[in-house]
Amino acid sequence: MTGWFSKTIRIFSWACGMAFTSIIFFFIGYLLYRGAGSLSLKLIFENTGVIDAVLLRKQVLGGLFPAIAGTIILVLLSVGIAVPIGVAAGIHMAEYARGRWKEALGFFFDILASVPSIVIGLFGLSLSVYLHRTFFPKLYPSLIISALSLAVLVLPYIIRSTQYALESIPESTRIIAPALGASRLQNILYVLIPRASSGILGGIVLAVGRCAEDTAVIMLTGAVAFAGVSRSLFSGYEALPFYIYYISSQYADPAELAEGYAASLILLAICAVFFGVSFIIQKGVESRALYGP
Amino acid sequence: MKALTEKSVVAVFRGSAFLSAGAAALILGFLLVFGLPLFREGRIFSLVTTMWAPAEGRYGILPMLAGTAAIASLGVVLSIPLSFGAAALISVFAPRRWGRFFRAVFLMATGIPTVIYGFVGIFLLAPFVREFFDAGSGLCVLSAALMLAVLVTPTMTIFFVHGFDRTPRSYLQAVDALGGNDVQKLLYVILPGAWRHIIGGITLAAGRAQGDTLLALMLSGNAARIPGEPLESARTLTAHIALVFAADHESPEFLSIFVCGLMLYLFSTLTVVVLRRLEAPFRRQHR
Amino acid sequence: MRTTSTRIFTPIFALWTLSFALLLFAAAQAFSGDIDMFKGEKGIIRISGGTAHIPVMKEAARRIMAANPDINITIAGGGSGVGIKQVGEGLVDIGNSGRKATPEEIARYGLKLFQWALDGVTPVVNPANPVKQISGDNLRKIFSGTITNWKEIGGIDQRINLYTRDEASGTREVFFGKAMKKQKIAPSANVVVSNGAMKTAVAADPYGIGYVSVGHVDKTVHALVLDGVAPTIENIKNGKYPVSRGLFSNTKHTPTGLTKKFLDYMFTPEGQKIVAEHGFIPVK
Repeated sequence: MTGWFSKTIRIFSWACGMAFTSIIFFFIGYLLYRGAGSLSLKLIFENTGVIDAVLLRKQVLGGLFPAIAGTIILVLLSVGIAVPIGVAAGIHMAEYARGRWKEALGFFFDILASVPSIVIGLFGLSLSVYLHRTFFPKLYPSLIISALSLAVLVLPYIIRSTQYALESIPESTRIIAPALGASRLQNILYVLIPRASSGILGGIVLAVGRCAEDTAVIMLTGAVAFAGVSRSLFSGYEALPFYIYYISSQYADPAELAEGYAASLILLAICAVFFGVSFIIQKGVESRALYGP
Repeated sequence: MKALTEKSVVAVFRGSAFLSAGAAALILGFLLVFGLPLFREGRIFSLVTTMWAPAEGRYGILPMLAGTAAIASLGVVLSIPLSFGAAALISVFAPRRWGRFFRAVFLMATGIPTVIYGFVGIFLLAPFVREFFDAGSGLCVLSAALMLAVLVTPTMTIFFVHGFDRTPRSYLQAVDALGGNDVQKLLYVILPGAWRHIIGGITLAAGRAQGDTLLALMLSGNAARIPGEPLESARTLTAHIALVFAADHESPEFLSIFVCGLMLYLFSTLTVVVLRRLEAPFRRQHR
Repeated sequence: MRTTSTRIFTPIFALWTLSFALLLFAAAQAFSGDIDMFKGEKGIIRISGGTAHIPVMKEAARRIMAANPDINITIAGGGSGVGIKQVGEGLVDIGNSGRKATPEEIARYGLKLFQWALDGVTPVVNPANPVKQISGDNLRKIFSGTITNWKEIGGIDQRINLYTRDEASGTREVFFGKAMKKQKIAPSANVVVSNGAMKTAVAADPYGIGYVSVGHVDKTVHALVLDGVAPTIENIKNGKYPVSRGLFSNTKHTPTGLTKKFLDYMFTPEGQKIVAEHGFIPVK
């Protein structure tokens, strides 16, 4: 193999790595450059007192607070719904399911993980409209519908990370408790789950990040342009990613555009925190690449 | 009593698993039920082969199929060489510390929200494309595909790296013993051994690319016609769902977006089938 | 012991006083003007549809929610078609439209129409574009795709980038009917989702042309003089500018309760002042 050929391959490889890295840093730098200057308490809370706003004593009718609050409530709700079901399903997959059933269930989870989020949004929308027409005339596309749809979206991450974390526990650890007379369930609850906790937690943290960033699901199921801080599960709400999308296409003036940059920075920071946490917990991170948006 | 508790807890585990699997089936069921009128009259075939012109009573999604195909495939094609280069760097060429650094950057990039890529795309990429190529409005197939390439590259790269890292150490040592260099290791040992991961990474990225909504919606211009070249405006299936979203539930517009949803569901199921085929030998090993 | 508790309680007490004072201030503001009618009300008003309406709706909602925190008003876009259908389906309380609902729609859903402003639809270009006026004929040729270069109507030698709205848009319907005279808009046109997005897109594209609600025109875009008539408030009012339309809020059946009060508010002097401040023509 001639020297110049090897050299070309190596240079190409380094160029790819450097190019992509600089693109990412350039994007982040650009957002910081345009957005950091406009970040302020006033931008978030406008003229309302911080404490009044956080305690919901007063409506914040401008600024980013309604969108931030909406995103936080949404994430808590959907992760709250998805975690118990997902972890339980993951335990079933790792410890009880065998053979054909396991194959079939795994196939469905893989499909669920790969269905585009807009299709899940469409599902949530049609489900709520159908229920509105038939059984629950008081049900509209709303916070609760979005939370349920997002829960469906992140279920496969939680299931898979739980399953893989449990399956990677070595046989030697598995047999100790049963040898001492523990039941199968006791072994799972008191030995295996604590051992797998970092992997499970990693999956949950990634699910949180995924809920916080998703736009396609919520734009069909209840996110609106204006709502204030919503006080009901059954009403529309504002959310950060939808706000960013909305501003990017229709900012009215430079001030609103600045809010868009600031909102992007805040969302980026929220996702970075969750991603950093799961990075520290380590195990879950790389599955993000496989079960990402 | 204790056995009863144990039984019921185990039942909860199983119930959760079936509930979750049921969600995937339920979505398909909903798409089919809402789209049923189309199947009954056999209209689905005319819908996927005709144009979108509601004013003339035509609700076909052919332009959107073409738009998705154009944007997703261009995005994936652009990211393939980039991902190969980056994966080779992380797994083979870079010194340990640099390898870890690049790996962290690519992992971090998978965590950046899509809407932020779109936001940056609107304000940086679209004006650049408009002025650089001096054609169109900058909102076009190329802009969306370029941003999509940035979105799927980390995923594809990480997948490739996983494949490259599986190469048995003894094979690499054999290359060393024969006096081969690292480029030869890559080309003659690592790449041939990682073909499953290479096809897998590309399939995964293709699935991700066809399902992306935000980048296409924000950057592709959304004109509902078949794009003739990369600098023309186009609309994807996903963007079509977002644009027509809330129409009347018996109207042909609404049925048309259900067909879009069905197409997307079928495509993603197809990618899953391909991926599972590729993974099958590893899974058997794992068990 | 005493000093510690004072140290803790003083700031808390100060904050209490502050927030109480703020509440009083807000209450005092509330006791003036037409917003009074929302006193003691409670509940949610859901609004969706026409995107031309959004700035006015937002301002009204802000004032009402500031005066009475027990009221929640949510506003979504989607376009006139979406507004009419969603209110018809009962998914929202008020469905806005930038066109009059058709007789079939009114009959099918039992709609009640409330027109609270007069508006126009105007073709807009980037302020950097030297073309400042256009004939109706050329406008139709541009949007139907016959004229594709600005040079052909006396502009620079550059391509024309078309922007249009999705099918749910009332603005599109009005433009299609009154400015295009029902001539088909070229399918190559970029599609945007709202009046705000149209303005932003044309403001960012030096070779672009689109159409927006007159109320949305500001210095970031130039409203073309059409056949010698500028799309000004006077010209729309006296009927000289032909591409005009009403802004409607629609309800299913006769509105009651909070929804009725919201619509009543739109017709009060304060409501109509908001309408005028946002560049639309009040009806009262």
